[in-house]
Amino acid sequence: MTGTMIEARDVGKTFGEVKALDGVSLSVPRGTVLGLLGHNGAGKTTLVNVLTTLLPPDSGSARVAGFDVVADAHGVRSRIGLTGQFAAVDEQLSGTDNLVLIARLLGATSREAKARAAELVELFDLVDAAKRPSRTYSGGMRRRLDLAASLVGRPDVIFLDEPTTGLDPASRLRMWEIVEELVSEGTTVLLTTQYLDEADRLADSITVLSAGAVVASGTSAELKAQVGQRTVTVTMASSSDVAPARAALERVGLAPQFDPKHGSLTTPVTASRDLAVVVRALDDAGLEAAELALGEPTLDDVYLTLAARAA
Amino acid sequence: MTTPTVLATGPAPVPTTSWRGSSFGTQVLVLTTRSLRALVRDPRLVIFSLLQPLIMLTLFSQIFSSIANTPGFPRGVSYIDYLMPAILVNTAMQSALQVGVGLVTDMKNGVLARFRSLPIRLASVLIARSLSDLVRSAVQLTVMLVLAVAVFGFAPAGGVPGVVGALVLALLVGWGLGWVFLAIASWVRNAELMQTVGFLAMFPLMFASSAYVPISGLPGWLQAFADVNPLTHAVDAARSLALAQPVTGLVGAVLASVVLAGAGGVLAIRGFRRPAQ
Repeated sequence: MTGTMIEARDVGKTFGEVKALDGVSLSVPRGTVLGLLGHNGAGKTTLVNVLTTLLPPDSGSARVAGFDVVADAHGVRSRIGLTGQFAAVDEQLSGTDNLVLIARLLGATSREAKARAAELVELFDLVDAAKRPSRTYSGGMRRRLDLAASLVGRPDVIFLDEPTTGLDPASRLRMWEIVEELVSEGTTVLLTTQYLDEADRLADSITVLSAGAVVASGTSAELKAQVGQRTVTVTMASSSDVAPARAALERVGLAPQFDPKHGSLTTPVTASRDLAVVVRALDDAGLEAAELALGEPTLDDVYLTLAARAA
Repeated sequence: MTTPTVLATGPAPVPTTSWRGSSFGTQVLVLTTRSLRALVRDPRLVIFSLLQPLIMLTLFSQIFSSIANTPGFPRGVSYIDYLMPAILVNTAMQSALQVGVGLVTDMKNGVLARFRSLPIRLASVLIARSLSDLVRSAVQLTVMLVLAVAVFGFAPAGGVPGVVGALVLALLVGWGLGWVFLAIASWVRNAELMQTVGFLAMFPLMFASSAYVPISGLPGWLQAFADVNPLTHAVDAARSLALAQPVTGLVGAVLASVVLAGAGGVLAIRGFRRPAQ
């Protein structure tokens, strides 16, 4: 089965006076990752809650894995996995018992449930802690157990709501690897995040949400091209080299700006290979840079650019 | 290297295992076992919930024992035989409050959020709570009874059948009330608030009733309240069973419990389905 696994059409949701979602539409093809980017309060979690049947939409419609989220919530639930911002595990139960519980509720026999739990405990590096009550787990372990719990039923679609917020760098990296493995096996993923680098690494396409509405969408490259590019900042070893360096960069078609405060040159670039272009241009002119830095646009840049455009 | 298809459905057209849901009976069974396991893992919960009724049993049986000599008290009945059925009903009621608190705790620790995203019927979560509490309550009341017989000389005229009857009735009342607290819990969703309100409601209900002293010994206005207090009827029914007296109010107590359970159940499920925000 190919095609669209998540489809939202004009979804609206209001809490009292607050429009949490204001006509959101999106579509995620099978086996791809959609990164839903936005600050706190942008509506990311509300959208995830609508798509996972936890909240009914006030207007519009949505289908997940072919099922309508309102008319066939049960069908949706039987094909999705959800990992929220807070670990949804039973703290009294051990890691293994948590996984067995979910498997049994999904319809596995006791034996199948134990086998599946053992498999997941192994995959998520929880073997040593598997028999301990999960309340003794560290934050990273709890997140891994939570993700494992949402994978018990081998779901077609997985929703990850800020899966790495509050994790240490090592746990974060491990989480990313797990997501990449899932996608390589054909799972469709919707991931919300506040971090552009996370969306950049994992997502095939990115949708930016602000105040409950989609303000931009596209691939990471498209988005960056839209909203302010990467930059290369060059600091020369001696101030007398600045002018020749500027000329050298202009010769290869770049548009460097001089920053008098730091004595550096900053030039927007479009792709990472442009870094090589900068190095080569300086080299050809016989100049030596003391420092070269690649600057990524941040989520703030994205927002600022989009807001400026909207105004 | 990890094998593919372990984490999720692989590209294979037919996944080898695909669990899409379990029967309602399995859901209730699995979830009930889960709650009971928590009790086995942490028996402090059972021990602490036994403390309060035990203290009441000890204090009241000593402090109020002279009431048995007052006019208006049934002749030839010792105070412990009079008191114990009321303690059973009271303990079952306390336990009913705990079902609600347990549900709110589950909502807090996030495991209910997981259940909501699973293809299960949410009613099974509530029924499992109710059932596991019934089991806990039965264990608790049995321990109380054994202690009362062994330590306090509880030996009512109704014998084993009468005592078992009183026990079953107390459990039934606690079960019915448990659904009321499940309903409150699923709408209020706040353990502290529930505990406070529950305690404030139950305290006067227990004392302004026939639980500890005969109603005829109460001041007039309190008598009027005690007469209509549903707890009086539950305690009277349990007591008449234990003491092998003409059974009074049994049908009323059973009916009231079933009606409470039904109404509480409908409201609980409706409240529980409301999305968490």
